[in-house]
Amino acid sequence: MEPIAKRMQKRPLLSAVVGWLKQITGPLIGLLLLCLVLSLMTDSFLTKNNLLNVMDQVTVLGVMAIGMTFVILIGGIDLSVGALLAVSTMVMGALNAYAGVPLPIAMLAGVMAAAIGGFANGVLVVQLGVPSFVATLAMMSIARGVANITTDGTQITGYSAWFSELSIIRYGGLLSATVAFFIFLALVCGVLLSYHTMGRKIYAIGGGSEVARLAGIRARAYTMWIYVFCGVTAGFGGVLLATRLDSSDPSAGLGWELDTIAAVVIGGASLSGGVGSIGGTVIGVLIIGVLRNGLNLIGISPFIQQIVIGLVIAFAVILDQLRLRRG
Amino acid sequence: MFNRRTLIAATAAFGLSVSATALMAQNEQVTIGLALPSLTLDFFDQIRGAASAHAEDLGIELIIVDANGDSARQVDQVQDMISRGIDALVYVPAGATAAAVPVRAAQRAGIPVVTLDRNPPNAPGDTFIASDSVAGARNIGEYLVEMTGGTAKVAILQGQIGTTPEIARDQGLMEAFEGHPGMEIVAAQPANWLQDQGFNIAQDMLQANPDITVFVGRSDAPAMGAAQAIKVANIDHKIWVVGFDGLPVALEAVRDGSLDATATQQTNLMGRLSIDSALALLQGEELPAEQLLDVTLTTSENVQGFIENHP
Repeated sequence: MEPIAKRMQKRPLLSAVVGWLKQITGPLIGLLLLCLVLSLMTDSFLTKNNLLNVMDQVTVLGVMAIGMTFVILIGGIDLSVGALLAVSTMVMGALNAYAGVPLPIAMLAGVMAAAIGGFANGVLVVQLGVPSFVATLAMMSIARGVANITTDGTQITGYSAWFSELSIIRYGGLLSATVAFFIFLALVCGVLLSYHTMGRKIYAIGGGSEVARLAGIRARAYTMWIYVFCGVTAGFGGVLLATRLDSSDPSAGLGWELDTIAAVVIGGASLSGGVGSIGGTVIGVLIIGVLRNGLNLIGISPFIQQIVIGLVIAFAVILDQLRLRRG
Repeated sequence: MFNRRTLIAATAAFGLSVSATALMAQNEQVTIGLALPSLTLDFFDQIRGAASAHAEDLGIELIIVDANGDSARQVDQVQDMISRGIDALVYVPAGATAAAVPVRAAQRAGIPVVTLDRNPPNAPGDTFIASDSVAGARNIGEYLVEMTGGTAKVAILQGQIGTTPEIARDQGLMEAFEGHPGMEIVAAQPANWLQDQGFNIAQDMLQANPDITVFVGRSDAPAMGAAQAIKVANIDHKIWVVGFDGLPVALEAVRDGSLDATATQQTNLMGRLSIDSALALLQGEELPAEQLLDVTLTTSENVQGFIENHP
């Protein structure tokens, strides 16, 4: 628990940067190694266009993983994010296509719908004492049902041109609006978590919520809002996915909660809480994205891809365990 | 059976293989990308097998990606294959949406697109290859009307709601049942093309309606699940079970009597034709917007031929 103690002290900027880098060394080295191997194996990997493609591809996962990082930091888990993503994309789509609600309002409503799911998770966990694994497992099923009910299981295709262009047009030849949103969200959350008292309190809750409570931190309120926020990021995910696919599908995001959790864990977070960071998570997200992208570029058979991805997840966590034991 | 469309398809297939040979003669390494929706479904795995064998015969490099039923994943994969520099794309859409995005992305990159099995309505491929599902399902329906004498309590194990095959097969079945008010549909639920879901849903349907006399599986896998559910339930009357696709395992089930009929798609031909069509598009040839292949009603009478030599 040394990192927390360190965080509590004030320290100059330089050592803060060094400390931050230390925390994410394992995943960062993994990512750089992966990039090195891939650029040796195929010419098409290390091109500007391909790296921008990877950013497009990881945006939805990345935004959801940011919310998940907070939940995992306080020692919880959220299995409902994939289904809440579907609720968001379907509520948005149905309001726009069937009720004629303007897209910006429909987008907000989609995010709100997922936030309500997150709020319900919070109530179950905080007020009713249901373990987060079970509470969000229940929500996963409920939310998937709700997503299907909105249009009786059918998909919605074809939004306004400007909407799908949010993820297509690259401003300055670099960033699409959706990728810019992901980077912005990561920066804001990363700064809040590392340099704001709120962040320190969240780490303290993850270290032991009873201790945090005795220290005067309102752990219950924080926990509640973190589940709402995780729902909100899933809601963002639903909207982002709709721009990318130019459609909404109630079976969207099936199983994505596991990808999201994998990204956070690869990024160095501990499932028992108190350890992890937004920077680590972003790297975890990039490892998953780069790996999938690279395996496709090399043209490895889909069956082998499944094995490789599983091995990388296991390997990343083993490395981290070894590092922690030595450190 | 051999109608005009079969002839057209056969002629097209012949013409295509000639042009494929011509292209090979130029001695260029051609790379084709094949984007499949889900290899856990045997139908797509059979297409993969046929396409890769054919590509190997022609000396073409074939890159295969599997989206695992996830349309977002599939968009990523198609994007990656374009970065890798494929010359042509064979796109079998995943998920209900049949996303238009991969077709648009490929066409922006100047890569010809063959769509297979499902076609995005708002951005169709340069040519679309599929089975004539409506006619196939109509044949199945007519067979059921004949076998049951026009009176039956029918339970349907639907595919994924909203997908092209689900819609087309529903349409064909309803056309066959039209004018036969005795063909009463007592239950319909999505089994999402899966055998275990078909089993469970059929079991529940039999619990709710023990007098069901027909199970229609929108594909073979749920039909085989239903056959198993009937076996377990110890029913005292004949229940007809039909599937669709003509998967090798289902053909054996038809031979052994646990399935009464299926509609055999020309899966191997589809795999080969998709490669040939991609090559023809690369040569700048014009192909018809739709290439529909015939589906054959398969019962114990004609199943042996299909088992020995799958079309």
